Amino acid sequence: MSTATATKKNTGHITQVIGSTFDAEFPEDQLPAIYNAVKIVSNHKGIKLDLTGEVQQHLGGGKVRCVALGSTDGLMRGQDCVDTRAPVSVPVGEATLGRVFNLLGDPIDDRGPVAAKERWPIHRDAPAVSQLSTSTDLFPTGIKVIDLLTPFVRGGKAGLFGGAGLGKTVILQELIARIASAHGGYSVFAGVGERTREGTDLWLEMQEAEIGTTGRHVIEQTCMVFGQMNEPPGARLRVALSALTMAEYFRDTTGKDTLLFVDNIFRFSQAGSEVSALLGRMPSAVGYQPTLATEMGALQERIASTDKGAITSVQAVYVPADDPTDPAPATAFGQLDAFLYLERSITEKGIYPAVDPLASSSRILDPQYVGERHYAIARRVQRTLQRYRELQDIIAILGVDELSESDKQVVHRARRIERFLSQPFLVAEKFTNKNGEITPLNDTIRSFEEICDGKWDHLPEQAFMYVGAVEQAEEQAKKMQEKK
Amino acid sequence: MAKARALDKRRKSIKNIRKITRTMELIATARFKQAMDRASAASAYTERITRLVADLAGSGLELSHPLLKQREKTEHATLLVLTANRGLCGGYNGNVQRAALERFEQLKRDVSEVRLEISGKRGMSFFKYRGLKWDEGFNHFEDKPKFEEVELLANRYLEAYVTGKLDRLDVVYTRFESSSRQYATVETLLPLASLGGESAPGGGEAKAMYEFLPSAESILAEVVPASFKVKLFKCFLDAAVSEQIARMVAMKSATENADDIIRELSMSYNRARQSQITGELLEVMGGVEALKQ
Repeated sequence: MSTATATKKNTGHITQVIGSTFDAEFPEDQLPAIYNAVKIVSNHKGIKLDLTGEVQQHLGGGKVRCVALGSTDGLMRGQDCVDTRAPVSVPVGEATLGRVFNLLGDPIDDRGPVAAKERWPIHRDAPAVSQLSTSTDLFPTGIKVIDLLTPFVRGGKAGLFGGAGLGKTVILQELIARIASAHGGYSVFAGVGERTREGTDLWLEMQEAEIGTTGRHVIEQTCMVFGQMNEPPGARLRVALSALTMAEYFRDTTGKDTLLFVDNIFRFSQAGSEVSALLGRMPSAVGYQPTLATEMGALQERIASTDKGAITSVQAVYVPADDPTDPAPATAFGQLDAFLYLERSITEKGIYPAVDPLASSSRILDPQYVGERHYAIARRVQRTLQRYRELQDIIAILGVDELSESDKQVVHRARRIERFLSQPFLVAEKFTNKNGEITPLNDTIRSFEEICDGKWDHLPEQAFMYVGAVEQAEEQAKKMQEKK
Repeated sequence: MAKARALDKRRKSIKNIRKITRTMELIATARFKQAMDRASAASAYTERITRLVADLAGSGLELSHPLLKQREKTEHATLLVLTANRGLCGGYNGNVQRAALERFEQLKRDVSEVRLEISGKRGMSFFKYRGLKWDEGFNHFEDKPKFEEVELLANRYLEAYVTGKLDRLDVVYTRFESSSRQYATVETLLPLASLGGESAPGGGEAKAMYEFLPSAESILAEVVPASFKVKLFKCFLDAAVSEQIARMVAMKSATENADDIIRELSMSYNRARQSQITGELLEVMGGVEALKQ
């Protein structure tokens, strides 16, 4: 490209507006490249418009089809549309810490402009195969059910799957409270298509929470990017990439361990499906976009740990209609190292976190990574619960009395284990009046071993609800006894 | 489809369970009638003979019979537990077993030698699971216990008692009060006085006047063992009736529970199936619409 054309604005005009997508016409020899950002700034009849779009398709005849990354209200045919000659870019680096952004990298926390030295484009290649690091270190969270049955991987990806209202966001925030506050590196939070209120809550909470005993606040090590429910699909489609780009910068340049929290990755797929038909793609299974797996793969492959640094990510994944075979959660599933499935029937029993101990799993729950003892006990717990689940139909029909003596004992212990998998959360202290419990991994393993061995068979079931290590169950049993 | 198929499979297995429970209910109902007739026929006789022994014991005569005498020291005790050979009868076995275990532990504390005798496979497996050994086990008492069979047992106890090898006999069984009320209970059958004495009227009351021919001793020698045998037989009969009632009730509610579950499963199955059909239709129609453009 000659310097003359580079300095001259490449301007086209809008030819068609369809919902949150629009077509623009450019000179045939000046077509903006795919993924380039185009800007429309106008003030027509008092309607101010400042819209950025992203080129998705070249339609031929100088026309391009774009996804609007903001509201298309006030957009009109014939308006001028300027090619920025580059994809959307976001500020990266230490200057972003403590700030809140939208997907375009503009701060939305009313604290003035961000003095970032660099901006990185949000579309980037995933790390090459040779650069990837394969870590298998266990990443302790202090949550019993997670540490025992679905241990997280340092530098790996963990997913929280669950239907509406099962507590995905609460677990995610709990993990932020536990991990980020004990963590020396940087954290990036991406709010994708969830409630704005939750984002605000989290922001305020992070300003109060302190990192260990350093006296510094969590927010000073965190940057947040929001594209919530109120935003048009284009924004929700790209906000995860913006946050990821910021995390990638920390990984590649500082080498520190970086945490990336995404709530909720399903909204990314959903936004993709909202614009897919408008872009003229034929819907695929269950009405999703045909490019579902491609989009998810392109995003997830970038969330990776390399030889330069590690990104540990935790993602919430909404499961529509509690059906995990739905294509959107199913595509996300394959990308993850640890997988927590939240089950409605468990929340109905009042057990939180409602992690289904049989449907959840982790790549490193394997004797060669977590050790023989941990593995054996985790499997024992699962076997007990599995047997209990098998017996449930019989119990429902014939009653507990019909079970054989050994099955009765299985049921007895399974019911205690089930309750013992609950745990009071730090972020729920205000609501439960119970202090959050951080249970060390050793205590977790020992507690479950003892329950499986029948050492605590004599305690009432209720004593196992919302405690840390098993000794607290004993205390709680004593308290219950006194009350009587 | 995965979900719908899983639901259908579960529904089928529950239908099979329901088939069993319904059959068991019908069988139990038929057997209950027979057992009930036998028990009520025996109960009149038992009551009368118990009264007779009580009257005799309380008639003021200086009568002595080894079975009526309270032993000073109890050294050898036997616990007889009457359970069913089969399950599918709700809490019937569980209640007896629990009562038996409690009494067994108590006896073990108080008495130096305790023998455990169990009738019914269920009871045996219960004690086996707990690692307790029993000295004698029977599983030939079905839902129609025969008097001859019980008599053999009774004779053995009587002999042991008379020769001093047995000081006390406790029987754990389910007492049949009425068709809506049965409960697990522990009764001490030997020494017999503990029962005969209780129902005897207090001294000074009008007493039945008896004239003994040929002698009081000879009559007692006949009546007292017979009374014990009948009592023991009654325990077996009661247990048999209660078992059938318990099974009838348990199977009835099991069948009802199965009905409920089947109804729920059918509903979710239909819903899953329909939503799958709707989904597929939508996809086809969406595809057609998209192709039109």
